[in-house]
Amino acid sequence: MDASHTQAPRPQPVRGFSIALLAAALLVGCAVQPPAEPAPTPANLAAWPRTLTDDEGTTIELAEPPERVISLSPANTEIAFALGAGDRLVGGTDFDDYPSEAAALPDVATFTGVLLEQAVALEPDLVLAAGNNFTPPDDIERMRELGLTVLVVYAETVDEVLSDIALVGQALGADEQAADILSGMQARLAEVQAAVESVPERPRVFYQIGSVPEIYAPAPDSFIADMVALGGGEPITTTDPAVFSISVERLVELDPEVIVLGDAAYGVCPAEVRTRPGWESMTAVQADALRPVDDVIITRPGPRLAEGLAALALAIHPTLDLQPPTDGAVLCAEGSLAR
Amino acid sequence: MSTRADAVRPGAVIGWRPRLARRTAALVTIGLVALAVALVAGVALGNVYVAPADTIALVTHRLLGWPVEVTWPASAETIIWELRLPRVLTAMITGVGLALAGAAFQGLLRNPLADPFVLGTASGAALGAALALVVPVQFALLGFGLVHVSAFAGAVLAVAVVYRLSRLGELNSLTSVLLTGYAVGSLLAAGLALTMYLSGSHLRQIFFYLLGSFSLSSWPQLAVGLPIIAVGSGVILTRARALNALLLGEETAAHLGLDVRRERLVLLGAATLITAAAVAMSGLIGFVGLVIPHLVRLLVGPNARLLLPLSALFGASFMAFADLFARMPGELPVGIITAIVGAPFFLYLLRRYRSGYAL
Repeated sequence: MDASHTQAPRPQPVRGFSIALLAAALLVGCAVQPPAEPAPTPANLAAWPRTLTDDEGTTIELAEPPERVISLSPANTEIAFALGAGDRLVGGTDFDDYPSEAAALPDVATFTGVLLEQAVALEPDLVLAAGNNFTPPDDIERMRELGLTVLVVYAETVDEVLSDIALVGQALGADEQAADILSGMQARLAEVQAAVESVPERPRVFYQIGSVPEIYAPAPDSFIADMVALGGGEPITTTDPAVFSISVERLVELDPEVIVLGDAAYGVCPAEVRTRPGWESMTAVQADALRPVDDVIITRPGPRLAEGLAALALAIHPTLDLQPPTDGAVLCAEGSLAR
Repeated sequence: MSTRADAVRPGAVIGWRPRLARRTAALVTIGLVALAVALVAGVALGNVYVAPADTIALVTHRLLGWPVEVTWPASAETIIWELRLPRVLTAMITGVGLALAGAAFQGLLRNPLADPFVLGTASGAALGAALALVVPVQFALLGFGLVHVSAFAGAVLAVAVVYRLSRLGELNSLTSVLLTGYAVGSLLAAGLALTMYLSGSHLRQIFFYLLGSFSLSSWPQLAVGLPIIAVGSGVILTRARALNALLLGEETAAHLGLDVRRERLVLLGAATLITAAAVAMSGLIGFVGLVIPHLVRLLVGPNARLLLPLSALFGASFMAFADLFARMPGELPVGIITAIVGAPFFLYLLRRYRSGYAL
């Protein structure tokens, strides 16, 4: 499993209920019920210095649009590039893979944490960290002690992904680009929602996060479980928000009608799943409803998430009247290569 | 018979022979040089390049207040002064502490496999840290958070429980002490595993805590940790006589006039304090506390008067070098480096000096 795009279930640290987040959420509205689009007023576009509140409730002050930005998560990197600020990124992570030029950025975040010497040496005006322990909280604190401006971005739901894009847009002074991305994403999300609502079936869906050494499933109320529900499925989850693994017994009992292979990018394909002992009794296996997906666009809280939801909805309902996603790799097909 | 007469001449200390004296002098020299090289290399090198001239100017400017013209970027000053220097010093003091604690536990328990973590310290600290990471309340003061405090408390509590349960204060079998330590450690390890299983997104942090790292060292942290380790180390260093006597067995030691219970308690307390402070600052760094004392014993024998100071010296430079190797390529957990570098070297020494080695 590549931890970089796994939205882990969360026993949560106290999360500041921030006014900015609320404002952003109002601004962006709810994906599932498209809201009135607020026109950005010239006043909030021009206002520098800006005071922003990040997703952990920390207030940061930006004197002017940052020119040197470090991203500490692949999602933040994608957001910055989508906002047209890719040329202002001076550092990234060693899991950056999209867009392709992001991979060339000096690595500041690795699997072990933040390379503090690198972070300081790059002299950033702004560091875009990821919450929910993706960027180790100790590293965030240490960077702030060393005088860096750190904005912590962390989305628990699709709506919060949208508000995070708006927040990063405000921080980078790319408010208009953010509004464009959001309206595009909202339109696509609404399209998926309309298509999903047009079919009455809600099949029981097991989204396989991983299968080595145990079987891993979304936790209740986790990001992936929400995505499955938005994609028109009834998510099969583990027993507890803090537990990832699921027993085959429970799977057999809950009998998935569709199995989405979220680990297809790591070489897990339907042929192997069919041969697993005990799995032949599941409806999904009997009906051959084993659907590989590119998990990056489905689980990474970035600008491609709407395409990810479309891909997931099509994996759950292959006959859905929906434009196929413009992004994401085709996996497990003849001649396709696992990443 | 002249050699025999030499050995018993007045004032001679047991085991103190001219050859050993020369070797000790050589080892002290090597140790001091290694320490100096580790300090310089640790400050000069890292995963970011800072020009050596800037580094020298910057350090003399900060240290001696020389009015040097500031030619370096502010980031270089932060890297050298706020990141590297406290980090090198923390690694050194941790190396001193763990090596001395290891030597003390090995002597105290007369067991060559004893290390600073043998009586449940590691599991206690790890469980404390893991619980602190998982609970939704966090605070931080002077670079110390709940994690550090509860790792410290976990380590001390684990040893306190082992001490009570095994009646280490009484003159009874050391086997029961070791087994009690093992059992308590296993229980705590199970608690740790359960915490990790239920830790959700905190798993990665707990995992890296278990492998140890100096990446978050800072001056405030050092200012709290240093006095604790220094006091503990000082206490152990002054207990060389007691450790030598304990090597003969508790009864013999008691007949020699040693207050065995008191000495045990003092040594155990000091070693535990050091270990708890070390794990609170930098996680679980294995191998140093086990191997450095053995290495010194292989070279100069078991006399604690030599063993303790030399272990401290080599522990400091070994840990500083291990940390340097850990951060050069990025941030590898330092516990991996200590084992990869240390184990083959130790095996080599063990083969070479095998004859007649005893604790």
